[in-house]
Amino acid sequence: MSATDITVTLTVNGTPTTRTTGGHVSLLRWLRDVADVTDPKYGCGEGVCGACTVLVDGEPASACIVLAAQVDGATVTTAAGLCEPDGSLGPLQERFHEHHAAQCGFCTPGMLLCAHAMLRDADGPMSRDDIREQLHGNLCRCTGYTDIVDAIEDAQARGITR
Amino acid sequence: MFVKPFRYERADSLAGAAAMLREAGGSAKVLAGGQSLLPMMNLGVLDLETLIDVSHVEGARGVAREDGYLSIGALTTHGELERDPAIAAGQPLVAAAARWIGSSRIRARGTLGGSLAHSDPAAELPLAMVVTGATYDLTDGAAIRTVAATDFHESYFTTVLGEDELLERIRVPVLGPGWGWGFAEVSRRRGDFALCAAAALVRVADGRIVESRLGLAGVSERPMRMGAVEIAVEGADAASLAERIAPIEGIDPVSDVSATGEHRRHLARVLAVRALTDAVARGAAA
Repeated sequence: MSATDITVTLTVNGTPTTRTTGGHVSLLRWLRDVADVTDPKYGCGEGVCGACTVLVDGEPASACIVLAAQVDGATVTTAAGLCEPDGSLGPLQERFHEHHAAQCGFCTPGMLLCAHAMLRDADGPMSRDDIREQLHGNLCRCTGYTDIVDAIEDAQARGITR
Repeated sequence: MFVKPFRYERADSLAGAAAMLREAGGSAKVLAGGQSLLPMMNLGVLDLETLIDVSHVEGARGVAREDGYLSIGALTTHGELERDPAIAAGQPLVAAAARWIGSSRIRARGTLGGSLAHSDPAAELPLAMVVTGATYDLTDGAAIRTVAATDFHESYFTTVLGEDELLERIRVPVLGPGWGWGFAEVSRRRGDFALCAAAALVRVADGRIVESRLGLAGVSERPMRMGAVEIAVEGADAASLAERIAPIEGIDPVSDVSATGEHRRHLARVLAVRALTDAVARGAAA
């Protein structure tokens, strides 16, 4: 352990997880390379693409531009945290599957968490434009977004939020 | 790309952070929300020995309405600026400016003090502060000095902050009766930094501008008031605004990968007209 190492404890998808590593390590790298939680992806490294989106204490954050040490003690939810307890697809993931809302899949973990947060926090019915507006911080280079918007709209119609 | 290792220190007070800054002697920077600083570290643009995290400092966050102004803690997030009822009632231009920043993820962590200290010349909040006539309280842990927004932002990513000073509080004058606001921006993608942004406040009587404050970001080394335009639009109504505003002088827009200087110069005038037009409409309804 070097002088700059820091011990961080996070509750990741319900599991308390403690690791000691450099204080400069981003939350994304802490999850992927230290704690072996690999569903958040490294896209741009500047908080623009949304592939690394996780929930920190329930709120979406770009894990590549948050230090793990900054959020010591937090509850972190990744896309895998939207699965059923037995590991099968959760209701929102089912909607994405049904609508072919994933092609290469790299943006999908971030898209799922962004969709979850917007469905959970919506004041009233969201139009397709509302959904697109809220997705603007998550880039997809395959789908053209249409199937993703379809999946979220369908989830809304069924009252699915996660 | 992964960041070069640095030391992470957490401060539990601004005075403590100021002491750490003094000790580091220039090799440290303050980490608040980190939504500009950490991308720059990730991209290797900045190379620092130490980051001093102030994001857990208590008492430097939140908005209070005081006599004639809003008192905003430096650690208040952009998302809080967007949604705060005192800001919506007292100076909605600040909320409108905050809404243009990045994505909701960035607005949930990025802070007002962080954006002002970062002083990107294309950023929305420094522009809003210059136009509203805000003042900043800077602390070194022992004394507080108060600096006007127009004096604080010096040049590209450069402010008057001393090596051991931090932003503590921002005071934004409340919008008076008869005043309206406007904010207009063009960026390459939604949430990007502005190619150019314009913010306007106008006082309207009988549909005509009595008094105005217009500022531009993205076309100079810092956000700037456009005094010549403010004078030119005195007495104008919404219909005559555009013909009163000549091509904007006194700006120095750069050409880069996002836009040519000429395009930015064009946007400066177009956005000035848009922001002032919206401000006149709101002022007439106020």
